[in-house]
Amino acid sequence: MSIETENKKIEEEMREVARNLLREKKVNVVIGYTKGTVPLSSTPIIITSENNVDKLIWNNLCYVNLAKYLVPRIPQLIDPEKGDLKVGIVSKGCVGRALVHLSVENQINLKNVKMIGIPCNGIINRKRIEKEIGEKEILELFTSDQDIVVKGKDFEAKYSYDEYINELCKVCKVKSPPKIVDFKDSCLGECQEVKSVDDNFTDVVEFESKATQDKWSYIKEALQSCTRCYACREACPMCYCNLCFVDQNKPIWFEKTTEISDILSFHLIRAMHLAGRCVACGACSSVCPVGIDLNLITRKLEKIVKERFDFISGIDSNKMPPMMDYNMNDREEFMLEE
Amino acid sequence: MKNEIGKLYIELNEEFNFYAPIKDQGNLKFRKVLNPDDIVLDYYNTKIPPKEILFPEMEVLFEYKTDGKNVTEIIERKDLEYKNIIFGIRPCDAHSFTLLEYFFSYGDVKDEIFLKKRKNTLIMGIACNSPKSTCFCTSIEGHPFMKSDMDILLVDLGEKYLVEGISDKGKKLMARLKWLTDAKQQDVKIAEALSKKAEESFETKLDLKDIDKILDPNFEHPIWEEISDICIGCGTCSFLCPTCTCFDVLDQNNQYNNKGRRIRIWDTCQFSLYTLHTSGHNPRKSCIERCRNRILHKFCYYPENYDMLGCVGCGRCIQLCPVNNDLRSIIERINKIKSKKEEKVSA
Repeated sequence: MSIETENKKIEEEMREVARNLLREKKVNVVIGYTKGTVPLSSTPIIITSENNVDKLIWNNLCYVNLAKYLVPRIPQLIDPEKGDLKVGIVSKGCVGRALVHLSVENQINLKNVKMIGIPCNGIINRKRIEKEIGEKEILELFTSDQDIVVKGKDFEAKYSYDEYINELCKVCKVKSPPKIVDFKDSCLGECQEVKSVDDNFTDVVEFESKATQDKWSYIKEALQSCTRCYACREACPMCYCNLCFVDQNKPIWFEKTTEISDILSFHLIRAMHLAGRCVACGACSSVCPVGIDLNLITRKLEKIVKERFDFISGIDSNKMPPMMDYNMNDREEFMLEE
Repeated sequence: MKNEIGKLYIELNEEFNFYAPIKDQGNLKFRKVLNPDDIVLDYYNTKIPPKEILFPEMEVLFEYKTDGKNVTEIIERKDLEYKNIIFGIRPCDAHSFTLLEYFFSYGDVKDEIFLKKRKNTLIMGIACNSPKSTCFCTSIEGHPFMKSDMDILLVDLGEKYLVEGISDKGKKLMARLKWLTDAKQQDVKIAEALSKKAEESFETKLDLKDIDKILDPNFEHPIWEEISDICIGCGTCSFLCPTCTCFDVLDQNNQYNNKGRRIRIWDTCQFSLYTLHTSGHNPRKSCIERCRNRILHKFCYYPENYDMLGCVGCGRCIQLCPVNNDLRSIIERINKIKSKKEEKVSA
């Protein structure tokens, strides 16, 4: 099946579920994606009436993790004065995983959430395409059969779809949201039973094989152009702290300058906070205005957590994440013994 | 001059910091040129605006020494007298320097550091032959060939540049470049045609006339909730805006070495710490107030204070907003407030 046909089918099924939810008043709002105004984007949309359901779209540029709109850091939708809103949320696999994990961390109540599950067929790596096109202006981007077609004033370029989707999407094993045992009615549309995830982390092998010094230079070079706009943090569904560690100023814990040491402390500590929590949606890298790829770091952490604690975030709403839990069998080889 | 950028660089490099668009980590930015072959001239605009040359992301204001308790000596910066040339800047970004200058010299307390650097900076820009689809400088009374903010304006004629000295500073510099040849009447005509063609090619046209008069009475309006509902509160729009000027001043005390420095870093009204009072109260407590502040500052307070819009129409915020909260549609929605009111009156 060509990508466009797949997208059309996903879109139709998604609209149908959203329409029914709104018509039967099972939700007050539906959060989804609509067409963006610039070629390499889509934009989140919040709709309240079934008449607007046709504004919802699915294409391979829906890179924002919509679960973000339910966490307290962005209070638009959970203003206590507006009461308990019932929310329908268009959920690709990683949005579903984020919702499950946020519920494990007691940040959202899944009772009020209806997942409109869709079988995601990958998100285009827009930063990579932008880099390859360089200083020309992209005016149009669409998929045709198995290709991504990019057009501008006096050029046209074709990229293989399988090659030019996000690295995370290439190794994704949870394409549609996981079914939640305790909230069966919350899972609508296409959801899947996920018991375990068989991931061999082929994407981090190359990075792991580097010498320590080379890893360090890679990280330093990758992060060097950070402007500290915090788009990565604000797009991350797991970054919901009311006051981020880097914003603490009584006293100041970390400097906010763009000197490399300060950039590194922000990104590496943020990455550590995501160990066992990151749902590998890739929103951080997709939104970065200067095109920094953070996902190699988060994937490496995901691998460590999987190997040490046999834990994958956002799959099981009854399993505590390792950094919030204690187990007598936890490995402690870092303890020095005499 | 187009084939003689290297010559220009060699001639001016000793006397000036020579800035031009250069690829850095995959992004086009204005950087001090070390090798003239690195200069990229086939481009629309840089991703990071050139404001960072005079108003960098992080800047040391002064350094100091202490005796462990009190400051004993203040070490002022010595590099402010150095002259800069910004080569290859677009008219919209050149206009942003005019706005920045207004801001940094407003009121009784002037920002000496910025103003000194600005005084020592010569702007040698290149007109925009083909604006981007998201550009809208003509909507803010700008123009892709606007000269007024430049010292020297170049027009790309394909194989060569038409060079025009605008300010006295620019004319003086041009007189020094003995290898420039006189322009032909024909070339001036081609440049005029290019200017007209560029002007006609704008796809984005915004109605910004009297926008401050619509905004001013609508500080409290449900539209702000609507405009901010998808905003995630990052600083992309303002950090990459050529006219945004907010900064945070910090003291970094190195108590182990009895010294320290005072720095400033970019800040933005989109951050939760912006205007946070010591008491814990913040008049701009959510995205709603913060989005409103950004729009009002550019399209209401700037016209009130300086009689000009605080936007240059470069379109960076449109291109780079992570959630595609498009400024064009925001302006359209604001303009609708007016037409709705008029409808009511006439009904």
